[in-house]
Amino acid sequence: MLGYIWQYVYSSFLRYWLKWLIRQATGKCELQRICSGYKPGATRTEKTEYSLRSSKNKVLRGALETSKDKLEQCVDQIMKEKNVKHQKDPLFKESLHICLLQITGYSSLYVSVEDLRKEVFSSENAEHEAMLLKLWDLLMPTVKLESRITKQWGDIGFQGDDPKTDFRGMGMLGLINLVFFSENYTKEARQVLSHANHPKLGYSYAIVGINLTEMAYSLLKSGALKPHFYNTVQGTPELRHFHQLYCYLAYEFDKFWVAEEPESIMQFNQYREKFHNIVKTHLQDPDVCLTLTVSSKN
Amino acid sequence: HDCLLFHRLLQGLLSILRKLKSTPDQEVRILLLGLDNGGKTTLLKQLASEDISHITPTQGFNIKSVQSQGFKLNVWDIGGQRKIRPYWRNYFENTDVLIYVIDSADRKRFEETGQELAELLDEEKLSGVPVLIFANKQDLLTAAPASEIAEGLNLHTIRDRMWQIQSCSALTGEGIQVSLNPPPNSPTKFLCALILLFSPCFCFS
Repeated sequence: MLGYIWQYVYSSFLRYWLKWLIRQATGKCELQRICSGYKPGATRTEKTEYSLRSSKNKVLRGALETSKDKLEQCVDQIMKEKNVKHQKDPLFKESLHICLLQITGYSSLYVSVEDLRKEVFSSENAEHEAMLLKLWDLLMPTVKLESRITKQWGDIGFQGDDPKTDFRGMGMLGLINLVFFSENYTKEARQVLSHANHPKLGYSYAIVGINLTEMAYSLLKSGALKPHFYNTVQGTPELRHFHQLYCYLAYEFDKFWVAEEPESIMQFNQYREKFHNIVKTHLQDPDVCLTLTVSSKN
Repeated sequence: HDCLLFHRLLQGLLSILRKLKSTPDQEVRILLLGLDNGGKTTLLKQLASEDISHITPTQGFNIKSVQSQGFKLNVWDIGGQRKIRPYWRNYFENTDVLIYVIDSADRKRFEETGQELAELLDEEKLSGVPVLIFANKQDLLTAAPASEIAEGLNLHTIRDRMWQIQSCSALTGEGIQVSLNPPPNSPTKFLCALILLFSPCFCFS
């Protein structure tokens, strides 16, 4: 209860008085202090985000919802509102601009990811079909697919004769992630597939991949991936950065699974939860970078 | 005839009650089986009032416990892909109710799903366990009606247990009329839940 009262008093009054006092003493506004006090990355951007969100000023709060092409203008406006002189703090403008690109970019990345997730795999769509066949060729270069509907799909870890029913709640996002991993980290993807096809320690490569897409998607949606993207992308995070994160999860999950030696595939959800917790713990670290350490082809 | 039916209904329900009384914590174990892409996980999530828009194929199994008025429904949802069907038997023990889910629009696999069901009904560890068959995906235009599926699967030949076929759509929630909150102070809370779960009523052959 006391905690709540303190929280209320702090955020409604004390914070502003404190900020005013420090501003008078240092001659710098809070945003300037954040940008000069922290190195580029998660801490700086998250503090900037918090500062803007709790601001009383409409221009500052509005910055969080500004589109990418209007951000530069928005930074100028903020500097005017806060009376920041470019000559006195030449680095501030660029720093704040990058922070805003990251903050607004995270929201727009979620929108793009959600669009792909909602796009249902359709056999009538030639592009979808081509992508599915590409996945096969990338993973099984020496084996020809006998027909479009075949038990062979089980060899790369789909459930039945036709993969289309396996995409479900993840839609095209699941397939694009699978193809991205196989295309950009072909050697690693084939290595993971060979582990997945192990007669005792194996799992279903494709549907576990779709499941890990769900993990990446939920982490993105909850905001948990902010520190990762703020540390790894100095600008707007794009779809490919999300696919890269999937590659990290697919590769690391396989390593984890092989090391843990589960009794059987029936233990999957238990180990998935364990892995999920490890990832979430990493994301608590302000210096987190969930990047696949092997070099990708591009 | 009605009198006989009523007598058998009473006997069936009483046996379940007796069984329940012998377990102090009143736990009910429900096993969800069926081919892959039948809708088992969606059904499970609907039962637990959870979001059903991000479902992915089940690798292994999911379990949810729904606590309600002094009894606990433990629902086990086991993946349906061919590769893991051999593991189904590991979950048979102590099952109180078997729910078998069928994709009513997947006509190509009616034979396969019928075979799997027949094998389940032959399992010793599942003998006498009441079975509820969900003719799922009725929201799809191409879905076969429950009556057609019942006929195709020869359900009328089941004589050794209570059974019921119910058309439903796990997606829209239609036909799953499950109320896990039976009227308070009812002496047979579990019975209420079970009857609601097996809505509209049990069939006895």
